[in-house]
Amino acid sequence: MLRVEGLTAGYRRKPVARLEILTVANREAALLLGPSGSGKTTLLLALAGLAKRFDGSIDLDGVDPSGLRGAARDRFRGSRIGIVFQDLHLIAGLSTLDNLLLAPFAARQPQDSKRATALLEELGLGPQIRQRAETLSRGQAQRAAIARAMLLRPRLILADEPTASLDDEACHTVGLLLARAARETDAALVIATHDLRLKAMFPTTVQAEALA
Amino acid sequence: MNPLKLIAAFIGRKPLTWSFHVLTLALGVGVVTSLLLLDRALEDRFTKDLGGVDLVVGAKGSPLQLILSSLFEIDVPTGNIKLSTAQMLAANHMVKASAPVSLGDNVRTVRIVGTTPAYADLYDARLESGRWWDQPMQVVLGAQAARQLGMTVGSTFVGQHGLSPGGEFHSQFPYRVVGVLKPTGAVIDRLALTDTASVWRVHEHEAAEEAQEQGVAKPGAGAGDREVTALLIRFRSPMGALMMPRLVRATPDLQAAVPAIEVARLTQLLGAGSQVLRGFGIGLLALSALGFFVALFAAVNQRQRELALLRTLGARPRLLLGLVAGEGLFLGLLGGVLGIALGRAAAVFAAHVTSGSGGPPLTPPPIGALELYALAAALAVALIASLLPGLVAYRLDPAQSLKAG
Repeated sequence: MLRVEGLTAGYRRKPVARLEILTVANREAALLLGPSGSGKTTLLLALAGLAKRFDGSIDLDGVDPSGLRGAARDRFRGSRIGIVFQDLHLIAGLSTLDNLLLAPFAARQPQDSKRATALLEELGLGPQIRQRAETLSRGQAQRAAIARAMLLRPRLILADEPTASLDDEACHTVGLLLARAARETDAALVIATHDLRLKAMFPTTVQAEALA
Repeated sequence: MNPLKLIAAFIGRKPLTWSFHVLTLALGVGVVTSLLLLDRALEDRFTKDLGGVDLVVGAKGSPLQLILSSLFEIDVPTGNIKLSTAQMLAANHMVKASAPVSLGDNVRTVRIVGTTPAYADLYDARLESGRWWDQPMQVVLGAQAARQLGMTVGSTFVGQHGLSPGGEFHSQFPYRVVGVLKPTGAVIDRLALTDTASVWRVHEHEAAEEAQEQGVAKPGAGAGDREVTALLIRFRSPMGALMMPRLVRATPDLQAAVPAIEVARLTQLLGAGSQVLRGFGIGLLALSALGFFVALFAAVNQRQRELALLRTLGARPRLLLGLVAGEGLFLGLLGGVLGIALGRAAAVFAAHVTSGSGGPPLTPPPIGALELYALAAALAVALIASLLPGLVAYRLDPAQSLKAG
């Protein structure tokens, strides 16, 4: 369960964006809407404890990630929050499986390669498990990134413009995949997007306000 | 998933770049270690060949040449001294031990040295087989000489005039091997020892022939004017080192050379060249440190978004620093090991060339502390070079890097 109230987020000394109120239950999803440059990414990064919170409150199952310090915040983000970006998915030179296991490696959690393998197979990436990441298509890489976001059973899944520059069919598939990821891991899902095609799939929306 | 896989994935993207930097480092390490190895080998060689000789007395000329020719057996002699003078000096009460040395001939580049069994005592050489000579034209071979010539007790050979191939053969005067020495590691291993009288016999005959040809009797070719090339002296006490050179200087056409001083001078002479090379090696090391630094710095910048991704996955800044340092150290280790191998190969090759061209035979010391220091130096170079790029990775702000993309 994610509850956000009056969140002002930014970098260093500069507030960039504001989010009035947002509540997302587990297995449910919300779209964080706004045009390009409205600070959606900044708000998303603030939810993950990567950007600065100037005002307001974040409550993820009783914890405010932006209120944690240093290593504790990194660990919390690694084990409780899964993030999917628009085009930064995998690290070249590593196999698809190793790219999934990067998550527990970075978060210092046990590396469950059985679960990682099962997730990849479930998402139709069985044949690519041992392949190097750079040989995967963009769509395959994104699916692998979604699998990685699910791996540690997070409380919150964040997606930043996951459907930008995808055709309608691919957009629909990614939307379904993200919803399924949230359901299967019992997590809340927040998608930052300006893609109106997703509105049909996720009725709950909230607006990001850019701060001048 | 482990850090090594990640480091390997990063390095594997730029195999040529990293090969180049590893090679530069290896060259720097190689030049420095090969020089140190050769220095040690040379020092070792000189120490062994000194054989506790405190003073060498010979004909006037360069003292360094006298030492090189009569003690280390690598140069041509300065001339001869009278046997009577040598005997007079040997009888001095300050002299604990002495051995005359007469050079002139060789057998397939092995020097035939006319001397007395006292020469073997200077190097603590013991017989492996056979016995010492009891008359002229009998020879005791050093261990290496025997191996090189393929001779054992009972073999015979004729000497060739001069100290290098191409001289006239003394066919009327065959030598017979009566003994072979145990290896000592010193210069004596490479020699064919015989009684001083053998050398006289071979060369007096020659002088007589010459005299006959010219139809005149050469004055002073009689027994009373016999000569040796040099006299090696070990003193009873340090007093001898003070008194004896003065005594020698008072005698015309004679010089005394102190091996310790001449070796120091020689090492100084060689040192200039090796210092230039060493400077070159250290320059290469510095250059490779700079190369490592630039390459790692560029790599960290190129990987910014991937490093940020690792942070979003929960990695602490410390992990990113560790990855960069680990990458540097891994490459440093590679360069160090390669450099040590290169250095040793170069030292062995240089030693081979030196001894092949008439220099002293050198044996680089066995693998030991020197290699450990070289490896530590390579790792230090890599670590220093990776500190700043590592710090940049450590201080990376993932939000900024992610937004920038």
